[in-house]
Amino acid sequence: MTPNVVAPPVSGPAGGILSGLRRLLTSESLVLWLALAYAATLAPFTPGFVSASNGQALLAYALPILTASLGLTLVLILGGMDLSVTAVISLASVVGGRIMSAEEGWMAGSPLAVPAGVAAMLLVGAGVGAVNGWVVTACRVPAFIATLATLMLFSGLALWMTQSRKIGGLPPGFVLLGQRLWMATAITAGVAALAQAALSRTLYGQWVRAIGYNPRAARISGVPVHRVTFATYVACGLFAAVSSILFTAALETGNPEMARDNLLDVVGAVVIGGTSLYGGRGRILGTVFGVLFLSLVDNSLNLLGLTFYNITMIKGGVILGAALMDALRNRLLAAA
Amino acid sequence: MIGFRNITKRFFGVPVLRDVSFAVPPGHTVGLVGENGAGKSTLMNILGGNLQPDAGSMLLDGRPYAPRTPRDAARSGVAFIHQELNLFPNLSIAENVFVAGFPRRARWLPLLDRRRIHDRTRELLAQVELSRPPETPVEHLSAGERQLVEIAKALALDARLILLDEPTTSLTDVEKALLFGIMARLRSRGLSMIYISHSLGHVLRLCDSVAVMRDGTLVAHQSAAALDTDRIVSWMVGREIRQLYPGRGDRTTGAVALEARGLSQSGTVSDISFELRRGEILGIAGLMGSGRSELARILFGLDPCAAGEIRLDGEPIHGLPPRERIRRGLAFLTEDRRAEGLCLEASIADNLSLVSWPRFATGPLGLLRRRDAGAAVTGMREAVRLTTSARDTQPVKTLSGGNQQKVVLGKWLLNRPGVLLLDEPTRGIDVGAKQEVYRLIADLARQGTAILMISSELEELTGLCDRILVMRRGRIRDAMAAQEFDRERILRAALHDETAA
Amino acid sequence: MHSPRRLLTITALAVATLLPSGCGPSGTPAPESAAAGSGPAKVRTIGVAFETLQTEYWVAGFEAIKAELQRRNLGMLEAVADSDSSRQLQQVRNFITRKVDGILLVPKDARTCIPAIKAANEAGIPIVLFNRPAADTPGVTSTAVVADNRKLTRETVEFLVGQARKSGRRHQAMVIVGDLADINAIGRKEGFYDAVKGQESVVQVVAEVPSEWNQEKARAGVVNALQAHPEISLIFASSDFLFPPVIAALKSAGRYHKAGEPGHVILGGFDGDATAYQMLVDGYLDATGVQDVYFEAEQSVQALMDQLDKKATPPLILDPGFVIHQGNLAEKKSRMWGANAVRR
Repeated sequence: MTPNVVAPPVSGPAGGILSGLRRLLTSESLVLWLALAYAATLAPFTPGFVSASNGQALLAYALPILTASLGLTLVLILGGMDLSVTAVISLASVVGGRIMSAEEGWMAGSPLAVPAGVAAMLLVGAGVGAVNGWVVTACRVPAFIATLATLMLFSGLALWMTQSRKIGGLPPGFVLLGQRLWMATAITAGVAALAQAALSRTLYGQWVRAIGYNPRAARISGVPVHRVTFATYVACGLFAAVSSILFTAALETGNPEMARDNLLDVVGAVVIGGTSLYGGRGRILGTVFGVLFLSLVDNSLNLLGLTFYNITMIKGGVILGAALMDALRNRLLAAA
Repeated sequence: MIGFRNITKRFFGVPVLRDVSFAVPPGHTVGLVGENGAGKSTLMNILGGNLQPDAGSMLLDGRPYAPRTPRDAARSGVAFIHQELNLFPNLSIAENVFVAGFPRRARWLPLLDRRRIHDRTRELLAQVELSRPPETPVEHLSAGERQLVEIAKALALDARLILLDEPTTSLTDVEKALLFGIMARLRSRGLSMIYISHSLGHVLRLCDSVAVMRDGTLVAHQSAAALDTDRIVSWMVGREIRQLYPGRGDRTTGAVALEARGLSQSGTVSDISFELRRGEILGIAGLMGSGRSELARILFGLDPCAAGEIRLDGEPIHGLPPRERIRRGLAFLTEDRRAEGLCLEASIADNLSLVSWPRFATGPLGLLRRRDAGAAVTGMREAVRLTTSARDTQPVKTLSGGNQQKVVLGKWLLNRPGVLLLDEPTRGIDVGAKQEVYRLIADLARQGTAILMISSELEELTGLCDRILVMRRGRIRDAMAAQEFDRERILRAALHDETAA
Repeated sequence: MHSPRRLLTITALAVATLLPSGCGPSGTPAPESAAAGSGPAKVRTIGVAFETLQTEYWVAGFEAIKAELQRRNLGMLEAVADSDSSRQLQQVRNFITRKVDGILLVPKDARTCIPAIKAANEAGIPIVLFNRPAADTPGVTSTAVVADNRKLTRETVEFLVGQARKSGRRHQAMVIVGDLADINAIGRKEGFYDAVKGQESVVQVVAEVPSEWNQEKARAGVVNALQAHPEISLIFASSDFLFPPVIAALKSAGRYHKAGEPGHVILGGFDGDATAYQMLVDGYLDATGVQDVYFEAEQSVQALMDQLDKKATPPLILDPGFVIHQGNLAEKKSRMWGANAVRR
């Protein structure tokens, strides 16, 4: 037997600073505090960072991403995954453009073009969500693979429909949505309130969490697992469609590449916001904070005049830091 | 061999171990008993290197012993066999046995010496009397055989002290007997063991001495020869438990609540027929794999059924999904409470209300009446006598096994079921909680609930049920009423094939 | 507990290293400002927003603009959108926030840049588009400096047709076209057909390969076309960066030979990048149409200055470019950006 030389260690009592740090780390609003601390640190060095116009630029950039992230939050709480959100955004953008465009739209000039276009975009979202939900529930394909497949399928469809062309000439009534920031803000806030209410105040929300925590126990307890799962993917598609409406109005273009590179922003923001990739745990407000944080980082680094290469590296570092902090936080919570 | 001196441990200021001191002499087996939450697991985690004590020390063979990690413990010759086995089902026996450190061809070469691994494994398997080739994947082994592999794994580490935490939970009686034989042999070879179990009969049979813990302190450590079960139980609960099983009393049975006719499904059950009446407790005995759990899953609609008919309150429910059966008053407490009964990370309140949420939702949007649900949860906590120290928002995983089981039971009772299917309702819970569960079951029956109870513990079936059906190989082989209960007759019916073969 | 500290470290590092270069104009202050009050010299700052720096051409353009701004003693802020229109819009808005004096924009495409131009128009900040024009949109004014893709391609292909005629036999030709959502790609495609029209006795176009500005797509298309038409002996690539897949396909077919050697496939390209320069030096490439990035950079900045001085600028400023070939390589190479690009 090997001799043991180490004396029994006795861990010291937690000091005041340590316990304060622990409280902060386990706080539900940790990400918000981080974002504020980050902003406060950078403000003195970053020309134009604290200004109304920059606030507006930041908001305009963050709103569509937030809307898409909200839908994904529901899916992650359910214990699922939806990689196809950006495909919904581009496909809905193209379909909306095809209907509304004054230059080449099917309903060019009609007073009903905007409502019809918006309805069709929402329909695209619901449709893709329904395909995801069907493949995941009825065919029992793992969500990661199912939605990776639909991501490729539907973003390919968007490119094929337009042959990679962009669609301009969107009607002024629609584009207004991109120019009036308060409108986009109101829509996103409304959608977020809806998600929050659904999650915390309805039977549906309770079921989503139960399935996320333990689908087998949920099924045995009488939760209609398939129906709830299907509905959640449809809801996620709808959120992505609303996001597409915001994106399309802001860029005034039906764009088959819309949001192509935002997938990791969306997923990253949700996870930074404290939603577990393993299901069950997650909050709408957390996602709001997560998007805020990532957008702040992106915005400030741009303002600092950093090159693209540096921004990408630092953002990766920030996401890693947030992930490490989340891991630490979970350890602390588990020990409590 | 090993000595604990004034071990103290707190979790966030709450003491879970207070000044625990005792010693395990070489070649001795010490039974460690106590209710869930008494501190046994924490003590064993300290011994196994998973936790460090806040104060106190340990001596191993007279030297100070302070493992920082499970690896440290293993190197010092302390092996830990957990309640949930730590085997990799996809790997072979040999790979599992040597997973902590494979013998290499040479010290500096990262190549495995497969022949040596297999030879050594064969030796170790012989010691635990498991006649399986070393390359058999662990997933092909029965629960009992896996337990033996765990012991072989401990022997491979040259363990001098083995901790066994509830090793018999998933074993059949035959496998238990085999395990005990092997433990006796290891003891005679000078190995020390600490044996944790809720089954006091086994503890008294196997151990040299018994250490009893309650609320983080050691209340007694005495030679097993001088002890009996009642004595130990009174130490464990701090009071005398006079009667574990509530009397059948003046229970009367009513109309037929659940009726099965000729249920058959290839490979699991064949031609099962019975009637279960209101206010009746019907027990189902049988070995694991006899089809008793499968029968419950079929009754609840989780598994398909090729032939036969099920009626709930006279109405056929064949083909309905579990959700619909729940709505009609069926409830099912499964045998695996962690995997199927609870959302471990979710709160006590959310788990309790999981089944009955639809009752607290209004309107097409399903808006929740949280206040009503909260009141119902509070009422149910009292009804099932859930520990008062836990908050409603606390995750269920922080509760002891007994309290977890009360949450599962409460979850179903909140939906006011007419028929309750119970599969091993007292598995892995301590004796105090058992008594409370028995009382709850009896009360429910008295109020007219029809109860079907599956159990491996004959004592609890005979103590609680009005009738017992015995299953073997998918069929009902025997049935008896309370006045005919005879444990030998039940065992014979359950084992018949095995003994004849 | 390391994470917050690490986060701060990253942030502090970022701030520390980039403050001097990122926030202030990099040129020396103008001499007359020495007497001006307490504030630092007022140096005009130009925001430069690129869609991508993923190909050598854009890096060369970026360097040319940087040099031109430095030459004129102007400060510069940079932003690269990594092919994301939404980010590009935010970047332009950031420039406006930081009150730059002018914006030089390489738009992602002709459509998605409209809101950015609108924003600059509304803020009264001059904006000039580099190398890609915006789609015609009422109420939106901008100036774009672009190569005359159609004319320059026509001239390049006319040179190729001349080479073909000299060989004294009829050639089968392949054209690799770019992303047809890109107005430049359309111009080059049209320029190609302008040049071969009426020359069927010398050059017969048998294959049109779509590339969508993607090397992999181009590679697949070229391989297929060479299999379907093994006789192809003239290839025009709409951009020089598509040459690597062309060379690979020709090599595997055993048909990559220098000009003058038997079996040589007449090659022409567009852009004037380092690959093309090397191919010219090695004698494999017949000609390429060079976009004069130095001219374009100079003209872009000039247009911004003119707008700042309230002078009107035309919506389109054309870069005529030049055709470079074996005959004029020595004379023209100093203005070929690919010849000056540092090989990495």
